[in-house]
Amino acid sequence: MKTLTRAQLHEIYYYLHLNRRVDEQLTLLYRQGKVVGGVYSGLGQEAVSVGSAYALEPQDVLGPVIRNVGAMLIRGYRPRDLFLQYMARQDGPTNGRDANTHFGDVARGVIAPISMLGETVPLMAGIALAAKLHRENRVALAYVGDGASSTGPFHEGMNFAAVQKLPLLIIAENNGWAYSTPTSKQMAVLNMADRAPGYGILSAMVDGNDVLAVYAATRKAAEHARRGGGPVLIECKTMRMKGHAEHDDARYVPKQEFEKWQKKDPLRCFEKYLVAKRQMTAQEKASIEARIDQKIREDVAFAEASPLPPPEGAARPVWA
Amino acid sequence: MKSTTPARSMKRSTKPDAETLERMLYYLKLTRESELRLEQLLYRQGKIVGGVYVGRGQEAIGVGAALAMRPGDVTLPCHRDFSVFMIRGFSLADIFANWLARGDAPARGRDNTLHMGDLNLGVIPIISPLGATLPVACGVGLVLQQRGNGNVVLTHFGEGTTSLGDVHEAMNLAAVLKLPVIFICNNNQFAYSTPAAKQFAVKSLALRGPAYGMPGERVDGCDVLALYDAVGRAVERARAGKGPSFLECLTLRMAGHSAHDAAEYVPEKLKLAWAKKDPIHRLERFLLARKVMTKRQIEELHKRVHQEIDAAVAQAESRPLPRGEEAVEGVYCEADCWWRRPPSAVHGPSSVATGTGQRTTHD
Repeated sequence: MKTLTRAQLHEIYYYLHLNRRVDEQLTLLYRQGKVVGGVYSGLGQEAVSVGSAYALEPQDVLGPVIRNVGAMLIRGYRPRDLFLQYMARQDGPTNGRDANTHFGDVARGVIAPISMLGETVPLMAGIALAAKLHRENRVALAYVGDGASSTGPFHEGMNFAAVQKLPLLIIAENNGWAYSTPTSKQMAVLNMADRAPGYGILSAMVDGNDVLAVYAATRKAAEHARRGGGPVLIECKTMRMKGHAEHDDARYVPKQEFEKWQKKDPLRCFEKYLVAKRQMTAQEKASIEARIDQKIREDVAFAEASPLPPPEGAARPVWA
Repeated sequence: MKSTTPARSMKRSTKPDAETLERMLYYLKLTRESELRLEQLLYRQGKIVGGVYVGRGQEAIGVGAALAMRPGDVTLPCHRDFSVFMIRGFSLADIFANWLARGDAPARGRDNTLHMGDLNLGVIPIISPLGATLPVACGVGLVLQQRGNGNVVLTHFGEGTTSLGDVHEAMNLAAVLKLPVIFICNNNQFAYSTPAAKQFAVKSLALRGPAYGMPGERVDGCDVLALYDAVGRAVERARAGKGPSFLECLTLRMAGHSAHDAAEYVPEKLKLAWAKKDPIHRLERFLLARKVMTKRQIEELHKRVHQEIDAAVAQAESRPLPRGEEAVEGVYCEADCWWRRPPSAVHGPSSVATGTGQRTTHD
């Protein structure tokens, strides 16, 4: 595997930071009463989204779920798309029809998240099947949480992909909690990766807060899938550092758990790594963060200036 | 093969006594011959409404499993588990009457095949969308666990069914809640015409067990003694509160998917290879070698089985078809419905429905 260049490392830092800032901004807009509905934060899980999406090639397709904003940013969505969307504005990707991350763009290789979470797996298996039948050098990547892995569609998709040896990567994002259900009550095995031998596929288990570990595992798995080796399940161990959504104070999560994971904050860890390896100067860091600040400011202003959708258009366009 | 075995670590091994061995042969033969009668005679005579689904070659699974149960246990057989119904106490005449869609058969002529059950016998009817059987088994397991009587539930399904989402949900739930459920998968290598190699990519389905955090074991599905032993160990484990087990019983479906299917897609060589493993001949050889039965006794048993079938078929055929005017009745459970009838004498009351051991007549 080729090593990442300094510029690429900076890009990864940029996306990790941007993901964090978008999240923070959304929380702010929520508290200002500007968001329609809830905000589902990916705080603490940014390295999973960024590390995996960054490892893909442009022709690859990914199926993010609600906490994978980082992956969507890498695929070319701008912070304003998320602000517009969460505030249900006319200029947003769904023109105010949905106030969440339920949007995608085939041209960008992003399949819109499906709220019935396990369903992403069979859907991405279908995309991988198309790639295989058309002999395209394309892999599909599905994000699935610990809770979603208990659903039937997860199983059907995994088994189908295994039998057909599809170029499918499954990022099993184990953030410890499915709303208030801890992983220990979600499954009787210790790791999501333990499911893989039951399907006859390869698996990997990585520190989900280590963006480079996630990147390397995804890259390696993608190569395996491209060679026709079949699907790979990559379990990324991480922690949801907020409630299920902004309305949930997550008091069911033991405090020590948050404290433990706070020390492993993916953004801080990566920053420390870059500084220690002399891959990022203080000046470079400041310049990246200034770029992000400006982008966030501009995009918030843009989104707030966008109108709400006119009511007379509400019935359109329900169909494509 | 890397898989944990449920209770191989446990000392007790279930060694059947002579009487049990004879019962095994009796039920194996009764199943084989009854199904032959259904498939090759009654069906061809046009007396069966619909299809006939037999479990030829896999009779040992139902027999081994059902004989490892005790009265308070519950079973969810599948359409190729004819023997389970008999062993749990359905009369042979009632089973034939059901196939012949007679008006007083368990399904009252509304359905034939083995779509019938009796909560008092601990038999839950078959669900045709097969995967849905397993979550039901978990529900039963949860009830049994809460009652704390040490009773367990057995659920039968094929390798084709394992690809369904319901199966995943059920196995996961059973493992998390440590339910007393024994998952008995008959891997008969074909789901209709889909070979096992196109059904799953894993070398042995037994590996699914550890993937859920429960023991998984592959058992020779043509060896009734191995099945009796493996199911017995899994049952014991479940009774002790140690949770579910998964058994993959490897066999070959020695008939078409149904009587209308010639199964030409199954390679001849495969059929010939598995014919040599026939579970009945195998047990006979064992019984002869161990001198549990003589050749003559086996021949007599064979004759007795045929006489019983003759009598049961004659009795079933003498029963009337349902009357046209009652077609809309019996959709919902009424006062006189099947499972509210007086308890069967075979196993005595073992009600799951009430938990009192008594059959309720009017709820």
